[in-house]
Amino acid sequence: MSDQIVVRELRKQFPRVLAVAGVDLTVAAGEVFGLLGPNGAGKTTTLEMIEGLTPPDAGEITICGLNWRRNSQEIRARIGVQLQATSLYNKITPREALNLFGGYYPKRRGTEELLELVQLKDKANAYHVTLSGGQAQRLALALALVNDPEVVFLDEPTAGLDPQGRRSLWEVVRAMKAEGRTTMLTTHYMDEAEALCDRLAILDHGKILCSGTPAELIAGLGIPSVVELTFDAAAPDPSAFAARLGVSVEKRGDVWEIPTPDLKTLLPRVFNTIESERLEYNQVHVRRATLEDVFLQLTGRSLRE
Amino acid sequence: MTAERGPGMNLPNPFKLLWRQFRSEWRLYVRDRGAMFWTFLFPLLMLFGFGVIFRSGGQPVLTLVRVAPAQASARDKAFVKALEESHLKIVTLPAKEAEERWGKGETMAQLESAGNGYRLRLNSYLIAQGQVAAQAASQAFLVAQARLSGAPEPERIPVVVESPGHARSDSYAAFLVPGLIGLNLLSMGLFAVGMVTVAYREKGKFRRLAVTPLPKWVFLLAQILQRVTVVVLQTALLLIAAWLGFKIVNQGSYVLFSALVVFGTATFLAMGFALSSFASTVETYGAISNLAFFPMMLLSGVYFRLDSAPQWMQTAVSLLPLSPYLRMLRAVFNDGATLAGHAIGLTILGAWALLSFVLAVKRFRWV
Repeated sequence: MSDQIVVRELRKQFPRVLAVAGVDLTVAAGEVFGLLGPNGAGKTTTLEMIEGLTPPDAGEITICGLNWRRNSQEIRARIGVQLQATSLYNKITPREALNLFGGYYPKRRGTEELLELVQLKDKANAYHVTLSGGQAQRLALALALVNDPEVVFLDEPTAGLDPQGRRSLWEVVRAMKAEGRTTMLTTHYMDEAEALCDRLAILDHGKILCSGTPAELIAGLGIPSVVELTFDAAAPDPSAFAARLGVSVEKRGDVWEIPTPDLKTLLPRVFNTIESERLEYNQVHVRRATLEDVFLQLTGRSLRE
Repeated sequence: MTAERGPGMNLPNPFKLLWRQFRSEWRLYVRDRGAMFWTFLFPLLMLFGFGVIFRSGGQPVLTLVRVAPAQASARDKAFVKALEESHLKIVTLPAKEAEERWGKGETMAQLESAGNGYRLRLNSYLIAQGQVAAQAASQAFLVAQARLSGAPEPERIPVVVESPGHARSDSYAAFLVPGLIGLNLLSMGLFAVGMVTVAYREKGKFRRLAVTPLPKWVFLLAQILQRVTVVVLQTALLLIAAWLGFKIVNQGSYVLFSALVVFGTATFLAMGFALSSFASTVETYGAISNLAFFPMMLLSGVYFRLDSAPQWMQTAVSLLPLSPYLRMLRAVFNDGATLAGHAIGLTILGAWALLSFVLAVKRFRWV
């Protein structure tokens, strides 16, 4: 399959901060690609440069084999974009908005079909100001699909949605993949990235820290499991416990986290140490490592800090 | 989906897009009740409101309050008769009621007996009208005295109120029509164009359009054309209302009048775009635009001339675009004149148009 998005050495300097510091990435046709990172990591700036909204200071961007400098109108005709905040006229209805925007493109999907897809049939004739946050978000998604795009960009598509809204958006993204569209999205939810993305890149301070499939990234940690001890009050200092156990213990809030490559050996030793230290803990959880742990290991910070 | 298509796919015809965009702008405009009120109804309310209040040839009716004397003498009767022949409206009240009315500040001039003769009290807040009333009262007094003594009546000098050009546009409403047309253009530029541009930029509407293949010029031109058709409708509505309500018609050349409206529209439109580039939020723009709007609305001769203001202020105001524009519009509309003798005004307006246009083009930002 051909590569639909190729980005080389992308850079953007804002007056006070280097927002994107040399990003390279490639997205294959039909792939769902995620940019994961905390707020301010440069996800949106990177996306907006690829979408042609923000001019880069340096770097090469190729979309569908086309270049912004030579084929900007054709790229715009072939991509669909959902911005982080989509602002429309207050008194336009979803049906009118889809008809209006559809008219800008050489190729378009039917308005009724799109309303059905994002479950806005019963709000088709309501003014935009009267839509709830989730409904407005779904309209923004429908607008991103109005031209039957080959490549779709979604910037924080589930921000502000309730759990049910997130699930139904995930379904739309999976349907897009099934139709063979290429999707690039940003998110700071690791579960979303794991659930939706074929491949992803973790971004921090404008740089890609690592990229690959979610499974690869987690496996790359070398610590597939994490043992968590929770406490009733604030967690005590873990250094004595860690010394006794002989592995590192991270204290995060009222939780101790003990990452391990070898759960079967560690677990009995954890219980032994608890007993010999007479530790007053509340609960023990064992979970598999997530992208959150990958990020933590790479940056020493949590994604949502 | 992944099939490669060659470059140069068929984008929609830009003129068809322009028409669709124009129609959409209009549809959304009509849904905005506030905009509809301020653009179409408010100017008509102003015209009819002020036009009716100041109906009589540019001068309001002057009321003289007369304190009823305890016993009317022959001289009193003769005086009242002469007063009633003047253009004053005479209201005779008992002393107590007259005093109450004076105390409330509603009386501009009050005639009362004082000793053997009369005395006029003038309200300092309404001194201009009071003095006119005082003059008329003095004249009536002379007439009354002459009649009583059998001397030949002093001749009154007839007074005619009219505009320099034509008797049919002598009313205040006729003065107001060009003023309101100019004011409409100013508020169209500052608010319907400038404010909307800032709001679209701040809220990201432009950004959403920027990721579509809609050419930017199509979007802007559709917006401009919509505003221009609003101005044309607004002006037509005012002219029709002025004709139906007050029998006011354009005294000059319609070609010249239309040309002025077009020139004004272009100038204030460009001014809106230019001003919008100096603010990044609606709040800032509100402050900037009000700073431009209110001095022009109040001082540039929309509702009244500034003839009694200090010279420096008149000079300053005449350098703003609206003031020379209204002088030219009135010269054509009220006086039936040409623009000969308006070289300075045209230069000032042209300079504003040029400055605004250059700033608008150079500084316009989408994001």
